[in-house]
Amino acid sequence: MKALGIDVGSLTTKAVLLQDGQVLSSSVVLSSDTADLSARSAAEQALHRVGLGLDDEVYVTTTGAGGRSVSFRHQQKAITTCLARGICHLFPSARMAIDMGAESMTIIKVNDRGRLCDWANQDKCAAGTGVFLQQMAKLLQVPLEEMAALSLQARARADISATCAVFAESEVISHVHRVPPTPKEEIAAGIFLSVAHRVMALCKRIGIEKEVAVTGGVALNSGLVSILQEEMGFDLLVPEAPQGVAALGAAIVARESIEGGTG
Amino acid sequence: MTSSVTKPNTIDAILRACRLMLKMIGARPEPRRSEELYYRMLGDYYTRLLKAPETGDFVAAHTVFFPSELLYAMDILPMHMETTAWMTALFLSDYAALLSAGAELGLKSEICSPHRGLAGAFSSRALPRPNVILWSNMVCDNTAKSGELLMKITGCPGFFLDHPFQQTEPETAYLVGELEDMVHFLEDHSGKRMDWDRLAEVVAETDRQVELLRQINTLRQAVPSPFSPQGFLELLTIDYLFAGRPEATEYLETLCHELTEAVRQGKGAVAHERFRLMTLFLPPMYLMGFLERISQEYGAVSVTEPFFCSWGQGRLDPSKPLESVAWKSFMRPEMRMYGALDDRALGEIAESARQSKIDGAVYYADVGCRHTCATIKLFKDVLDDMDIPVLTLDCDVVDPTVTSEEEIREKLERFFELMEDR
Repeated sequence: MKALGIDVGSLTTKAVLLQDGQVLSSSVVLSSDTADLSARSAAEQALHRVGLGLDDEVYVTTTGAGGRSVSFRHQQKAITTCLARGICHLFPSARMAIDMGAESMTIIKVNDRGRLCDWANQDKCAAGTGVFLQQMAKLLQVPLEEMAALSLQARARADISATCAVFAESEVISHVHRVPPTPKEEIAAGIFLSVAHRVMALCKRIGIEKEVAVTGGVALNSGLVSILQEEMGFDLLVPEAPQGVAALGAAIVARESIEGGTG
Repeated sequence: MTSSVTKPNTIDAILRACRLMLKMIGARPEPRRSEELYYRMLGDYYTRLLKAPETGDFVAAHTVFFPSELLYAMDILPMHMETTAWMTALFLSDYAALLSAGAELGLKSEICSPHRGLAGAFSSRALPRPNVILWSNMVCDNTAKSGELLMKITGCPGFFLDHPFQQTEPETAYLVGELEDMVHFLEDHSGKRMDWDRLAEVVAETDRQVELLRQINTLRQAVPSPFSPQGFLELLTIDYLFAGRPEATEYLETLCHELTEAVRQGKGAVAHERFRLMTLFLPPMYLMGFLERISQEYGAVSVTEPFFCSWGQGRLDPSKPLESVAWKSFMRPEMRMYGALDDRALGEIAESARQSKIDGAVYYADVGCRHTCATIKLFKDVLDDMDIPVLTLDCDVVDPTVTSEEEIREKLERFFELMEDR
């Protein structure tokens, strides 16, 4: 039996298929209106790539914002548990992971056995999340993908609030419209710095412990990761596919269930 | 100072809820006798309050951790204000209306919600006007300020009981002096005299109750724990509302007997006990039904609440009734959060965790209570050193707009997974 992990996020849904501890295939799809449809689409894509379908022998573990709503799941697990499994599989030396998703931020701490020991999350405010960065890119009239490169050219960083997405937005507007306008690269760097401050504050709630990995779609932003590293004062571990770590963790949990006889 | 909206009588609604609970308990195949006694007591307490205008009972509205023994000894009817506020949230899910009435008075959301709600309840006449207001600085400065506002809203005379922070000889003597002053105040306003023999009897009853509470606390440490997952709230209510009342002793004796029997049979309160928890501070009252259900679903039981159930050492002496009332206030579990949280207090938390063999602790961080939230790190550090995970749940004890049931469920489930995974 194969192990399939699905992370149903608010913006994208990720699926990872495992066999004998190896990733057979994976997929990322845009989340649709219903979690069930998103999960089905991601699962079918990942399975199709290796000539399988949902009718084949596959044990499904779901996680993420919509994980509970997936009708064909065998098991649902918390995002924190799956992140811990996923990050320890990729980086056994990691003791902490910062997961920056589309609409939330979660910090986890893991012990030397790769088990979750604490977490902190913020899901009340958009500041520091993927949708916040999307909105900021829109205000700057720069594609989000280019914001990272832009920020790396900055010689200074614009002062942007770290505490509230609405305040940050009005500050960015004021930087754009002042005479002369603040250079876009400085605004981009300022936005990333505000996110980094927010991440640091959340990390400090549970205590920073090296080594630290970054996951989630926002971790694909090299400009933000670079500033975050600077603020942390050490290098961060960045997986090749940071957005798929929770799905990978879910697949590992699925595999454990198969091996433990519950699958 | 009245609200533009007049609410239906809250006490009448609490009474209806008590009657309904009694019906439901009666319909169970194996009703818990102590639970039945509990709701009967609550029903009787609120019936007397409801009928006070007809019977002419003198009603003293008072804040939490107040020595109601003195009121019972003077045949004065107590009205525990915070508990009544919690009951409103617990049974009626209608606390938002009282908070709105409080907001109309200009009370900001940063102020402790039970106190905002109380002001709203009196101004909208959801609570009947008492004869006097009694309040103290136990256990925070919200309480200390609340009484003045309630006096203004209700137009009632009031007495502020200044409670010392530490238990030293001079401070105990000071508290006894304060209690004497309060007795004089009550005598002046109610026309009733303190019956000192009666107070001695009430103190003897309270002494027995404290002993029973200690025994119950010990019984709850058994594995599996025999008392219902959120049952400790019953124990709080018993002391808050019925200290020194014979019916409370009957309840506690019955409960003690039931728990002893359950421990003897190895019978736990949940079908399969998986997680033994320490509860720090008060869970949201409007989610009690949900918390009970999820506790049953996951086999999670609160087995210790150091701030609510771990009574200090000592006995009361009926021959020194006023002094005993003062001593009791220092023996209260809540005294651990009053004044400095020193190594002794933190050590007691660690000891409580050890004795109760807990797997984790849930810290209900009431966003309106800055005093308690300031302690999160302290407790977390103590328990971290013992390798005990702590879940901090941001919530409000009565205001349902702060955290939803869904959010709490998600965080609790994550926490259960964390404990299971260790």
